[in-house]
Amino acid sequence: MTVVYAVAMGALVLGAGMALWVPRAGALCSAAGCVLLVIVGVDAAVGGARPVLELGGWIGFGDSALRADGVAGVFLALTGLTGAGVAFAYAGSPAGRWLTCLAGTLVLWVAVSIGSDNAFLFFLAWEALTVCVYLIASAGRNREDLLAGYLTGGLAKIGGGALLAAFGLLYAHTHTFSLQTWADASLPAGTRGVTFALFLTCFATKIGVLPLQGGLPAGYGAAPRLGAASLSVALCAGFYGLWRFEFAILGPLPVWCGDAMLILGAVTALVGIVYALTQDSMRRFLGYSTVEHAGVVLVGLGVALLGQSAHQPILAAAGLLAATLHVCAHNLAKTLALITVDRVEQATGSRTLDPLGGLARSLPLSAAALGISALTLAAIPPLGGFVSEWFTFEALLQGFRMPTLLSRLLCALAAAALALTAGLGLLAFAKFYSAIFLGQTRGQLAKVREPTRWPGGLVGLGVVLLFLGTVAPWEIHAIGSGLQALLGLDLAHTTISHPLVLTPVFTGFSVLAPTWLSITLPAYALLAIVTVRLMRGSTVRAHPVRRAPVWVTGSAAELAMVQYRPSAYSNPMRVILRGPLGYRSRLVAEDRDGEAELRRFRLQTSVVLAIDRFLYAPLAGAVLRASALVRRIQSGRLSIYLLYMLVALILALSLVPILR
Amino acid sequence: MTNVSRRPNELRDDLPQHLGAVGEPGPPNEVRLQVRTLAFRRAARMLKAAGARFVTLFLADTPEPGLVGAFALRGSLVVLRAPMEGSEPLTYGSLGEIWPAARWAEQELAERHGVHPLGASVDGKLTAPDADRLDRAVHGLDAFVIPYGPVRSGVFEAIQFQIETGGETVERLQTRPFFKHRGMEQRFVGLPPDRAVYVAERVAGIATVAYASAFSQAVERAVGVQPARGAERWRAVYAELERLACHFDVIAKEAETTALYVGQARFQILKEQVTRLRARLTGSRFARGVIVPGGVRFAGRMSLDELCGVLDDIEDQLVRDRRLFLGTPSMTDRLIGAGRLSRELIEDYGAVGPLARGSGVSTDARHERPYGDYRRLGLQVITHREGDAMARVNVRFGELFESLRILRQAIDHLRRGDGELRQPLPADATGAAFGWAEAPQGELVVWVELRDGLVHQVHLASPSLRNWALFDHAFPKDVLTDFAFIEHSFGLTPAGADR
Amino acid sequence: MLGWLIRGLRQGRITTRYPRGEERPPQGFRGQVEVVDITNGTGDLAALCPTGAISVDPRGHVSLDRGRCILCGECVLAAPHRFRFAPQYETAARSRAALVVSGDEASLAPPPREALGVVTPALRRSIHVRHIDCGSDGTEEWEIQALWNPYYDIQRLGFFLTNAPRHADILLVTGGVTAPMRAPLERTWEVMPSPKALIAVGTDACSGGLAAETGTIAGGVDHVLPVDVYIPGSPPAPIAIMHGLLAAVGLLDVAEAVA
Repeated sequence: MTVVYAVAMGALVLGAGMALWVPRAGALCSAAGCVLLVIVGVDAAVGGARPVLELGGWIGFGDSALRADGVAGVFLALTGLTGAGVAFAYAGSPAGRWLTCLAGTLVLWVAVSIGSDNAFLFFLAWEALTVCVYLIASAGRNREDLLAGYLTGGLAKIGGGALLAAFGLLYAHTHTFSLQTWADASLPAGTRGVTFALFLTCFATKIGVLPLQGGLPAGYGAAPRLGAASLSVALCAGFYGLWRFEFAILGPLPVWCGDAMLILGAVTALVGIVYALTQDSMRRFLGYSTVEHAGVVLVGLGVALLGQSAHQPILAAAGLLAATLHVCAHNLAKTLALITVDRVEQATGSRTLDPLGGLARSLPLSAAALGISALTLAAIPPLGGFVSEWFTFEALLQGFRMPTLLSRLLCALAAAALALTAGLGLLAFAKFYSAIFLGQTRGQLAKVREPTRWPGGLVGLGVVLLFLGTVAPWEIHAIGSGLQALLGLDLAHTTISHPLVLTPVFTGFSVLAPTWLSITLPAYALLAIVTVRLMRGSTVRAHPVRRAPVWVTGSAAELAMVQYRPSAYSNPMRVILRGPLGYRSRLVAEDRDGEAELRRFRLQTSVVLAIDRFLYAPLAGAVLRASALVRRIQSGRLSIYLLYMLVALILALSLVPILR
Repeated sequence: MTNVSRRPNELRDDLPQHLGAVGEPGPPNEVRLQVRTLAFRRAARMLKAAGARFVTLFLADTPEPGLVGAFALRGSLVVLRAPMEGSEPLTYGSLGEIWPAARWAEQELAERHGVHPLGASVDGKLTAPDADRLDRAVHGLDAFVIPYGPVRSGVFEAIQFQIETGGETVERLQTRPFFKHRGMEQRFVGLPPDRAVYVAERVAGIATVAYASAFSQAVERAVGVQPARGAERWRAVYAELERLACHFDVIAKEAETTALYVGQARFQILKEQVTRLRARLTGSRFARGVIVPGGVRFAGRMSLDELCGVLDDIEDQLVRDRRLFLGTPSMTDRLIGAGRLSRELIEDYGAVGPLARGSGVSTDARHERPYGDYRRLGLQVITHREGDAMARVNVRFGELFESLRILRQAIDHLRRGDGELRQPLPADATGAAFGWAEAPQGELVVWVELRDGLVHQVHLASPSLRNWALFDHAFPKDVLTDFAFIEHSFGLTPAGADR
Repeated sequence: MLGWLIRGLRQGRITTRYPRGEERPPQGFRGQVEVVDITNGTGDLAALCPTGAISVDPRGHVSLDRGRCILCGECVLAAPHRFRFAPQYETAARSRAALVVSGDEASLAPPPREALGVVTPALRRSIHVRHIDCGSDGTEEWEIQALWNPYYDIQRLGFFLTNAPRHADILLVTGGVTAPMRAPLERTWEVMPSPKALIAVGTDACSGGLAAETGTIAGGVDHVLPVDVYIPGSPPAPIAIMHGLLAAVGLLDVAEAVA
C-alpha cells in the first residue's frame, strides 16, 4: 500500500504541475491520484495496511512522515472522493490552467495535512492550503469578488496565527513537534483549554463556524467557476484538524470545552440556515448551508468531547460517529452541488436564483444531480444526510448521560435548535431547488441546453451519494474501524446489530434500517405508479387525458409575472425574523412626475446580518481608526524613521535587563 | 338640537353667494346650485374646505345637459350643477386631484361619456377591466404579482384584486371593479316607476330594500308625494332586517376566515333566521316585491307579536354569541390592528357606512338626513375610533343591537295601526330628485328623473364603489394572510359597485 | 373554545331532512309562478311581465317562461285568475325548454349531457362544486353559501365546495355573463376535468333576467356554454339549488340519494 500511497501523492504533484501546460491532462492526473487516495484511505480505515511515507528530518523540526492511520484513512478517502469529483469536472470543462493547477495543489496540500505526523509539516501544509484558498477565492474579476477574496484570505490568516500559537504552546510543554508525543503527553487543564480555543479558532475559519463564518460564503461566491467546488474539498482539512487535534491530541478536555462546542454548533447551525434562506446568489446560499452543516457537525463533536471528558467511551463514540458520518455526507453532497451549480451557471450565465426557473426540462442531468445533493443536504430519507442527522439526534438524546446538569440542558437545547434547523433546511433547499429547476421557464431560459461537456464528476459523486444511504452499514463499519484507535472500542459491533439494521451506538435505544428504507421507499413509489396505471385503464379510455392551461383565478395573466419569486419565497421568514436579520424593506417611487396610477416603484429589501452589524462593522471601524492614528506618525521623512528605529532599539535593549 | 332644523335653510341662503353660484329650488334637504363649468372645481374646493363629503359626479339630462356633483354637507345634499354651454364639449377642472374621492367617478365619466377633466389623463381601464392584463408597477428582487380574481376562492362575487407583494407584505394593491357591470342604470330608462323598482331591487340584491327604498324615495321627492306613514314603518322594518342579515354575514365570514367553525355556524344560523323571517313576512327571502314608489304593496304577513317573539329570540342568541366571539382571542387577535384606516383617509375618500364609523367618522344617512320612519325613530350612531377590522366588526355588533331596538320601536308604531299603505303617484308626472337610504354597506344615493310618468334617467351612487376606492390603502402594515379579514370587514358587494 | 363547543352542542339538530323528508316553504312563499288557465289569453297579458316571460300565441294559448320570470308578481296581482304563486322549492329543470309552461311539453330537447352519476356511478357520493359569478346581483351567492350552513348542510349529501376548478365536478354559474366575465367563464369550464356538469343558478343565469335587454350581457349562460341544469328563481332558495345539484348528479330519485 505504501507504493500506492506514494504513487497517489506523486500523481497529485504531477497533476498540479502538468495543469500549467496541459490543463485537461493535469486534471485527469490529479483525478487518478485522488482515486488512488480513496483506495489507500479506505484500506487504512477498514484496518488493512497503514502505509507510512517517511520524509526524514529535512524540514528541520524533527522527523516527519505521511501516515495513513485509521482517522487519516477516513478523511483521505473523503478527500479523494470529493477531489476526484472536482478533478473530473475540471477535466470535463477546462477552467483555465492556473485555476486547474491551484485546484490540484489544493487537493495535494489537503492530503499532506491529513497525512502528516509532524505538527510543523501540518502547519506548512495548512499555510500552503491557505494560500491556495486565497488565490482561488480572489481570482474573480470584479472588485466585489476581490474584496470577498481578501475576507477569505484574511480570516484564514487569523486561523493560521491561532494554529501557530497553539503549536507554540504545545511545543513549549513537550519540546517536540511529533503529534504522537503530543497525544501521549499529559498537559495541564489550563493549557488544554487555551489550546482548545486556539485550535477551534483556526479550524472554524476553514469550515465556517460562527463568528468566523464570513470567509466561506464569500469565498464560494467570489471564486471563479469550479473554484468554489475546490474550496469545498478544503473543508476536509478543517474537519480533520478538529478530529485530530481537539479529540485525539487534546482530549479528554475540560467539560466546558464540550459545552462551548455544543452552544457554538447549535448557534452556527441555526444562524447558517437562516442566512442561507435570505441569499439570492446560488453559491453564497451553498456557503451558508455549509455553515449550517458545520454547526451540526460541531454538535456531534461536542457530544463526543463531553463523553470523552466524562470517560464514557460509548457516548463519545456516538457523538464522533454522528459527526464523521455528517462530514462525509455533507462534503460529498456539497461538492456535487457546487459542481452542478457551475453547470447551471455555464448554461444560463446567471449566478443568482432570481432569473432562473423551470430548467428541469432543459437541464435534466443537472436537475437529477442537484436533486440528489439537495435531498442529502436537507436530510431526506433514505439518503446519507438523513442517516447522519438521525445519528446526531440520537447522540443528543443521550444527553441524560451527561456529567453535568448544564451539559444535559445544553444537549436538550441543541436538539431543539437542530430540529428547527432541519425544518428550515428543508424549506431552504425546497426553495433553492425549485427556484432553479421547477415552475415556469422565464424569458430566454427556454433555449438553454445542457453543456455538452463530459459529466464525469457529476455522475460519479451522484452515484456515490445515492448509495450512501443504502450502504450506510458498510460505511459505518469502515468509519468505526477507522475511529477504533481514537475511541478504544469497535463501533461496528455496537452499531450494526443486524447486517441491515443500525442502532445509534447504545443498543436497545432505537433502530434505523437505511438500506431497507432505500429499497422500500422507491418500491412504494413504484407500486403507486403501477397501481394507478393499472386502475385507470377504463377511466382513461372514457375520458382521455387532456392538458389545460394553468389556473390563475380565471385570469390568463403572464405566468412568469405571477409566479413566486425565489427571494419572495423566503420573505415570510425574513419578516418573522426581522430583528435578528436586520431586514428592511421600502417602496421607492422611481418616476415622480407621472400619475399615481402609472408610477413605477422599486421594492428595496436588504438584510444586514446581525453578526456583521454588531461584530464586523465595529471591528472594521476600530481597525480603520487605529490605522488612521498610526498613519499620523508616518511623515514620510527618512530622518524621522531613523529616529523611530533608534527609539525602538533603545527600548528593546532596555527591556533585556528588565526581563532578566 | 334646535339648530339642526335651521341648518338647511342657512345653507340654502348662504351657499350661493359663497360659491358664486345661483340657487335653484329643490326638495327638502337638497340644496341645488348652478355654477359655470369652469367655476365647478373652485366651488367643489370650497365645499371640501367647508367639510363636505363627496358623494357623486355624473351627467344629468335635466333641465339641460350638464355636469352634476353631489356633496353631503351638514344635513343637506348640496347639488352643484354646471350646465353644458352651447354645443361646446363639456370641460371642467379635475376634482380628483384635490379630492381622491372623486377619482373613480371622474374616471367613469371619462370612460363612459368621454367627458375628460382638465389636467388629468385617464386611460380606459376602470370600467372595462381586462382580467389578463396586469399593470405591474412594483419591481425588485422579491416583487411579483398575485392576480386574485375575477374567479375567487369560495362563493364570492366577481372582482379582481391585483396584489403586488414581496412574498408576505402587501406592497401595492389595485382593486379592479366593473367585472359585472350589467348596465342597470340604463335598464331603468323608459319604465314606469312601479316597475322600475324591480330593477332597483336587483342592482345589489343583498341590499334589495335599501335600493328599492332609495329609488322610491327619489321618485316620491321628484313628484312631491309623501308616502303613507304605515308604508314608511314597514320600509324601516325591512331595512333593519336587511342590516341584521348583512352584518351577520360579515361576522360569519370573519369567523370562517379564522376557522372558528362553530362561530361561523352560529352567525350563519342567525342570518338564515333573519332570511326566513323575511320570507314569512313577504314571501321573498330578500323582501323583494314589497316596496314600491308611493308606499309598500302589502303589509307583513305575520302577526306583530310573533315578529317580536322571533326578534327576541334572535337578540337572546346574539348576546351569547357576541360574548363568545369577543372572548375568543384567536379570533379577535386577527382583527385587532388589521387594515387600519385613518380618519383623514376616510374623509379624503368620502367613505361611508360601518367602514367610516369604524374610524370615528360618524356618518349615517339615517341620522344626517333622516328619511321615512327614521324621522320619528331615535337612532344612536355607533362609532369606534380605532379604524381597524376589529373596530368595523364592533361597529356592526353595536348596530345589530341598535337595529333590533329600532325594529321594536317601529313595530310599536305599527301596533297603532298600519293606515294607508300606498299613495298613488300622479300620472304623467315630471321631475327630478335625489333619494337616499343607509344600506348595510353605507349611504346609498339615487338620482331619478321622471318625464311624463316614465323614468328618464337614474344615477346610482353606491356605497360599495365609494368604499372600495379605499381598499387599495387598507394594507399599511398588513400581510397577505390579513387579506380576507380586511376584505370581509369592508363588507361590500361588487354587484352594487359595478351596477 | 369550550364555550363554543357547548354552544354548538346545545343548538341541537336543525338540519333539513331534504331530500329524504319534505321541506315546506312558508305560507305565501314565491317559489314559482303557475299558470292556472292557459287558454283564451289576450295580448295585454304579455305586457304584464317586465322581462317578457309571458307570451300569447295567435290561438290564445298563454305560455310562461320560468327561465325569464323574476317572481315579481305583477301578473299575479293583475290577473289572479290566471296566474298564481306556488309555494314550492323544486324548480330546477334539465333543459331550457322544460322551463316553459305552455301546455304541450311533448317535444322537449334532451339535456346536453347525461347526469354525472349516470356517467360515473362512483361520483354519486362525492361531488366537488366550484362557483363562478358572471354578473349576478349578489343574492345567488348568498343562497349558494347558505347550502353549507347548518340548516341545509349539503355536505351530508356528499357535496363539497372546492376552490380549484381542476378538482371540480360541477360548476355553478350565476349571472347572465357580462363581457369581462366571458373569457374567465370559458377558462374555468375548460380546466375542469370530465365528466362535469354546469348549472345555471338563478333567472339571470338562465336568461339574463331583467338585465337581458341592456346589451351588456350575453343573456344567459347557455349563450356561452351548454347548461345541464337550470335553476330559475330570483334568487332560487337554497333548497331549490340543492334540488338542482341533485338533478345534475342524477340523484333525484330520493331513495337513491338516501341509500
